[in-house]
Amino acid sequence: MSTLEGRHLFKQFPGTLALDDVCVSFESGKVHALVGKNGSGKSTLLKIFSGAQPPTKGEILLDGKPLGFSGANDAINQGVATVYQELSLIPILSVTENILINRLPRKRGLIDWKAAHRQVKELLDHLGIDVSPSALVGDLSMWQMQMVEIAKAMSRGPKVLLLDEITSSLAKHEAELVFDLVRSLKEEGVVILYISHKLDELWKIADTCTVLRDGKTVGCVNIGDTTQKELVSMMFGAITIPKRPDDLMVSDEVVLQVKGLSRADKFQDVSFQLHKGEVLGIAGMLGSGRTELLKSIFGADPFDSGTVVFGGRELTSANLIRMKNLGMALTPENRKSEGLVLQAPISENLCYASYDNLSRNGFMDGRKQKKYIDRQVEGLQIKVASTSYPVEELSGGNQQKVVVGNWLNTQPSVIVFDEPSRGIDVQAKQQIFRIIWEQSRKGVSSIMVSTELEELLEVCQRILIMRGGKIKGEIKPDQISNEELYALCMGGDKL
Amino acid sequence: MNKSGTKSVTAFLGRYMLEIILVLLFIIMSFSSPAFLKPANLLNILRNVSMTGIIAFGMSFVIIAGEIDLSVGSTVALSGVITALTAGKLSASGGMPMESAVILGMVFALLASILIGIFNGFLLTKFKMPSFIITLGMMNLLYGLSAVISGGFPVTTLPSWYSWMGAGNLFGVVPVPAVFLLITFVIVFVVLKYTKFGRSVYAVGGNAESARLSGINVTLIKIGAMTIVQFCCAISGIMLSSQVMSGTFTFGKGWEMTAISAVIIGGASLSGGKGRAWGTFLGILFLGIMSNAMTLNGVDEYVQYIVQGALIIGAVLINSLLDRKGKL
Repeated sequence: MSTLEGRHLFKQFPGTLALDDVCVSFESGKVHALVGKNGSGKSTLLKIFSGAQPPTKGEILLDGKPLGFSGANDAINQGVATVYQELSLIPILSVTENILINRLPRKRGLIDWKAAHRQVKELLDHLGIDVSPSALVGDLSMWQMQMVEIAKAMSRGPKVLLLDEITSSLAKHEAELVFDLVRSLKEEGVVILYISHKLDELWKIADTCTVLRDGKTVGCVNIGDTTQKELVSMMFGAITIPKRPDDLMVSDEVVLQVKGLSRADKFQDVSFQLHKGEVLGIAGMLGSGRTELLKSIFGADPFDSGTVVFGGRELTSANLIRMKNLGMALTPENRKSEGLVLQAPISENLCYASYDNLSRNGFMDGRKQKKYIDRQVEGLQIKVASTSYPVEELSGGNQQKVVVGNWLNTQPSVIVFDEPSRGIDVQAKQQIFRIIWEQSRKGVSSIMVSTELEELLEVCQRILIMRGGKIKGEIKPDQISNEELYALCMGGDKL
Repeated sequence: MNKSGTKSVTAFLGRYMLEIILVLLFIIMSFSSPAFLKPANLLNILRNVSMTGIIAFGMSFVIIAGEIDLSVGSTVALSGVITALTAGKLSASGGMPMESAVILGMVFALLASILIGIFNGFLLTKFKMPSFIITLGMMNLLYGLSAVISGGFPVTTLPSWYSWMGAGNLFGVVPVPAVFLLITFVIVFVVLKYTKFGRSVYAVGGNAESARLSGINVTLIKIGAMTIVQFCCAISGIMLSSQVMSGTFTFGKGWEMTAISAVIIGGASLSGGKGRAWGTFLGILFLGIMSNAMTLNGVDEYVQYIVQGALIIGAVLINSLLDRKGKL
């Protein structure tokens, strides 16, 4: 039997204390779940155990012996293997090559393929994984890849196995198969740590559950002795949702209507209305289809059936440029890869969406362009010495403001904000929220999506619940608590 | 204070590196070779760089958009062959005198180049094929096509006035191709800097997905860039056939390397989003002056290849070093 221990772990990041005197202990033969909301410190704790980051203070011990890692590879050599949600497998190589990468057996200097396949076959048989060693990983389905990933970790004979959100991209029945495998690993005498944001899974897979909040351990319970409701309240504690200003007016006028919109494998039969000046939230976990829905409404991605009624037109196909001209805007989920041209100047990044308005007969109107740039830099308080600097030199919050400014310059009537607060600090978040409210006062409607559901409660006047590609309900923020909203999005029927 | 002073000197050197090198090269050459500074020689340099230079300006759009065109040399050959063949065939059949038939030939050559550009751009945007592969294929395809339609021989059915475009001089001094080069420079400078199309080319090359999500028509911009460079090739090809008074399928071989080199030396990046018309112009002059300098100093032709190759690698090395410094 082995035990993995963390003693008085601290982790200091600039501005935040991610781990604050965390003491934990996990023994082998059980699956230990680790839960907490975003920013609770669970990812940091995992990174310290996996050797990806050292703690600022404190130590980790395996069977009473202190562990010191000089990197993730070193961790594997010392018996700690990690399986991440983003698969680390190489699709164009075979299962054997992926599992034995860097360690393929050799005979007279050349790779001994026979021995390699045999070795992997034995491992897969032992773990009860029904996959051919010579199959290409790229040909496998998602859950099979996840199993191969686990087999790869197990092939190093680890004492500790860290599983990070391994079911996040799997369907329910596929996840069950992976659970079977994980349960069987308990017999191997391995300490298994399981991280997930899908709370309902825990009763199927975990034996104990450790809850982190604001960098501290809130408690450790036997999963059989607790309920989802209890866990959620441990995760969140008593939080107060800041009030949104009460001078925001919603008129009865409908500006956008989505009717029965569907896209295969992404979202089905989505219908809702958006009123003038309204701030509508869409709450859903990762993979619920929310981003895909927004992109299809905006015309950036196609849809299969249904219609979007906007700007006096009933649209049956996706066309981004048409939507833009009708007055819709979208600030994308990932500002670096979808919202900005990083090496281009701030000034250009503020104008991309309005090139049509800024040019006459194909020639750019320099004076008008300057007016557009100044308007946003002042209005959004973008902190910058010169707008000729590349936008990549700005902080995350200011970059996000540039993305918003690019679209405000088109003077839209509906703005879709996909994760507007991702990766920016608290103050910048509040500034972004104020921008959304300011637009609402001007009669501009917004749709907002955020993983941080408490933000939706703070910012929006009405929230749609999205789960598994479908709209599952509609709530008003003052009728529901943060925990209840999380439970609704995670599909917790147990509340 | 001192530190920021050094910093601004480094920044200045980085920004005007090419200008400084060109001036140094000029000074060294005027001392080492008396023939260099003679007006006739300088005009000669301009004439020599004009045809590849015009293509380099077209190539600037393609490279800034994050693409590449390797087929430019073959279009140069094809344009000359089409022009000469049309002139020859039409006048032989008695349809019209060769003097005017050659104009029709030039129109055909220009139209052909536009179609080739649209075709390249179509494959690129519709099927998401890499432009490297498409134009690698087109390079061979068009070369073969020129050889087949010309029967493998130079086509020399051209009227005597035609030589003016490649070999003539404006006001008796300025080579006509150099005039075309300067006109192209001005147009490309204005288009890249002051038009919606030009700005969109930078956006698409910088981050095509961001550009698309901002409502920029990425497909149109890419097809446009691929077509412009081909059009430039046809202009060059016509001038080359005029200079030699023949349309020959082996013309333009290897020109893609000169054109791409000029753009890269001018500070553009093959990953797109970066590059300037002025930079390309300096790149063109730099290559031309280097080659002229080596010829004047009696450097062996094959050694010139070695130097040119080393220069390209050196230019890219300096650019990536400057880039890395900027990041730190």
